[in-house]
Order: sequence, then C-alpha cells, then structure tokens
Amino acid sequence: MRLRRGGGRTAYPRPMTSGEPDTDVLRLGAGARAWRAGTVVVLTLLFCAGSLVGNDHWWPFSPWRMFATSQAATGSVWSTGIEVRTADHVDTWVPAPLTPENVGLNRAEVEGRIPQIQADPSRLGTLATSHARLRPGAPAWVGLRVVRHKIVVVDREPTGEVETDVLAEWSSP
Amino acid sequence: MSRLRDWLFAPVPLARVAVLRALVFAFVIVDVLLLHTSGWYHGEADPVWYEPLVMGQVLHLPPASVLLVEVLKWGCVVAAALAISGRAPRLLGWVVAVCWIWYQYVAFSYGKVDHDRADFVVALALLPTVGIAHLSDRRLSEAAGFALRAIQLAAVATYFLSAWAKLRFGGLEWVNSATMVRAVVRRGTPWAQWLLEIPWTLHWFQWVLMAAEITAPVIFLLSERWRRRAVAAWFAFHAMTYAAITIAFWPHLVMMLAFLPLEEYADRLRAWWARTRAGRWVGERRLSSGAAPPAASTPASRPGAGVG
Repeated sequence: MRLRRGGGRTAYPRPMTSGEPDTDVLRLGAGARAWRAGTVVVLTLLFCAGSLVGNDHWWPFSPWRMFATSQAATGSVWSTGIEVRTADHVDTWVPAPLTPENVGLNRAEVEGRIPQIQADPSRLGTLATSHARLRPGAPAWVGLRVVRHKIVVVDREPTGEVETDVLAEWSSP
Repeated sequence: MSRLRDWLFAPVPLARVAVLRALVFAFVIVDVLLLHTSGWYHGEADPVWYEPLVMGQVLHLPPASVLLVEVLKWGCVVAAALAISGRAPRLLGWVVAVCWIWYQYVAFSYGKVDHDRADFVVALALLPTVGIAHLSDRRLSEAAGFALRAIQLAAVATYFLSAWAKLRFGGLEWVNSATMVRAVVRRGTPWAQWLLEIPWTLHWFQWVLMAAEITAPVIFLLSERWRRRAVAAWFAFHAMTYAAITIAFWPHLVMMLAFLPLEEYADRLRAWWARTRAGRWVGERRLSSGAAPPAASTPASRPGAGVG
C-alpha cells in the first residue's frame, strides 16, 4: 500500500484526539487495487455460478438454499428420528436424540442417507458405536431403527394426524 | 467505471476494521466452542458417513478424526485469541481463516451443509489484507474500505442469492407453499406454535421474506441513516426467526456489522466505561502506575500503522 496525502496539510500523520477524523488517506497503488478488484470478480463469478448451477458440494460456493424447497400446502411434513433398544431393556424400542452429541451425526445428515442406510442397514451399527464412545456411562444400544413421522398438513395447517414408518433396522450381532 | 472503482475502494477509518476484526475473531472463538460444534462430533463418527465436498476432493482432505478436529478447534481458538490483539494481522488472520474454513468443511462433509456460513469465509479471507489497524487509528484507508465493501457485498449476496435459490429449487410457487409451516412443525419453539393455528401469518411472511431478500441490494443506495435502519430491520428479522425456530445465521450477523460505524460505537462505549466507577478506578490505577492513558496511543507512535 502506498501512502498518499489526501489533505495536503501535513507531511506526517499527526497525533489526533478520539473522534477527530484525519484528512490523510492511505491510498492503494495500482497493483494493490488490481488484485483486490480481481478477487471480487472471481468471488462474484464463483458465488453466482454456485447459485445458478452448483449444489451443496460446492461449499462455500454452494447455493444459499436455506428453506428454499417448496412444501405442498396440503400433504405431509416428514420428520426423521431414531429409536433404540438398550442392553437394559432389550425388548423395548424407545426414541433417542438424533444429535451430534449422542451419535456424532445430526438428523439432516441421517435423513440425507436413507437410500444408503436401507441398502446397508449395518451402517446404523456405527451410530451405536459412536454413541458408546460419546456416552460411555449410558446403557449400550443393542438395536437401532430409523423411523419417519409423517405429520399431515391440510391447507398449511397440521391436522394432528401423524403416520410413522420404520425405514431401516439394525440389531447387534 | 471510475465511479465503481471509487465505490469499491471508498476509504473508511482503520479503526472500523480494527473493531470489526476484534468482533470477528471473538465470534470465531464463541462459534467453535459453543455455537457450531457438529464438526467436533464428526471426529467420533465412522468414516463411512464421510462424503467429500469438491473442496475436499481438490485438496485431498481426509475424513475427520479426533486428532484433526481437536487441532482445528484449538487452532481456531488460539489463533483468534492472539489475533484479537491486532498483532501479526496477516499471519494470524489467515491461520484463523484456514482453521475455521477447514473446521466448517469437516462439519459439512457428512451429508449436511449449513447454508448461512459461506459469506463469513470472505470476511476471514479479506480482513487480514488491511494489515495493521489500531482501534484508535482514525486515518482513512482504501484497503480498509475495500475489505468492508467486500464483506458488505457478500452479506447482501447472501440475501439476494438465497431468494434466487428459493426460485431455483422451490419455484415460483415457493411463496404460496407451506415451507414455513414445515419449519415450525419440525423445530418450532413453544411460543411459535400459535403461528400454526393462524396459517395466513406464515403464508404472508413468505411473501415479505421473498420481497425483502430480492430487494436487499437496495441497501447500497440508501442514505447512511436508512442504511442503519435497514441493518436494524434485518437484525429484527433474524431475532424473530431465532425465537420461532431457533435458527440464527450467526456468522452472517457479524458480517452485517460491516455496514455500521463501529469505531463511533467503540468511542461511545469507551466514554461510557470511563464515566463508570469501575472505569475511573482502572484509569486512576493506570495513571498512578505510570501507564499512558489510551488516548495517547496515536498512529504516529506506531511506525507503519495502517500501511499494508
């Protein structure tokens, strides 16, 4: 960066009191301006390309698609969760938090892999392993299943009706 | 063209960048320790769930391990804590940038990308380019102006391009869909449930949100006073969103501060602190111990200050 004077009053930055603006302006040379302008152009192109044709895998240039999908005004809202059987109660399925603190992954990360889980339900066993490492004091999981709750919505209003499907199930060998 | 150039490099006080940098680095510490910890937990997830993003394929980044996430997490914390001091702004700033971006990559390469964190990458990458900037340095700097302008552009792009994403993925019917109902059903707070009983509220909100996001770039045409009001309106919107569905775009909120005269707020805060009993006590202690008062710190006392 080159130092050029904007005010021309003093040849050296003078002491100033707080709140008093100085007329000196620290200007950039042509090269410093050029690479900065080039950076803005490149970033603009990458962000726009990501939004136009990219997907999540382009992060940080992926499309900004928070809440971007359309949910039909009448239909069902899906919510995925897990249920487990513990070593203490091997015959009872109970809901368990599908959170990073509990299994190392969050709900959306499991929701996005339902086809892979259904093709190979043994993947669910890795969640039980992670749970044992993250919660060493909790009873071990001997069974785990992924359930999908369908909350029925009519004309943007939940009716209170909930359907539950079991999508995949794993039991410890 | 020259007007565009003048706009892109409009000089701002170095103190503004100094305040924003301190806030950005303080936020990084809070973020990795408290707000966004899923990357750390991926150290405990089985590598079978790892799904490399393009960045990971290009750079050959490995799946998360406990060692990797600990190094990235504490690398962020230590580098950001040192960077808040203002020393070695380029080295420490870019170390923070690399650690934070990699830590986010670890969080996002297991099947879920959070879409609110991309603009912060711009802030972390470009703030170090300003070089030394002191909290009391009121000299105007084009490098500082450029960094802030780039951050403002990225923050506003977040709104505008998220409206575009709604049209791309949700179609024109997005505004009449039940997307917000879905959000409240899935993760609504107890005090947001009434919105489900009056469905037009969320329907109407979608129209307002789409209009606000599409017109977000207008903020660059507003007067200073209205620009601050627009930023306040966006903060109000994000506060409402957090109250309803506990989602806050934290890094983006820090980016929006780039629109504000932060050095003036810092001055007011300092003046208020000096008036308080505790502030007077600290000031007297510093004087009696022979330390120079803060106002004596000037650019002239620091050779090379602000020159990058």
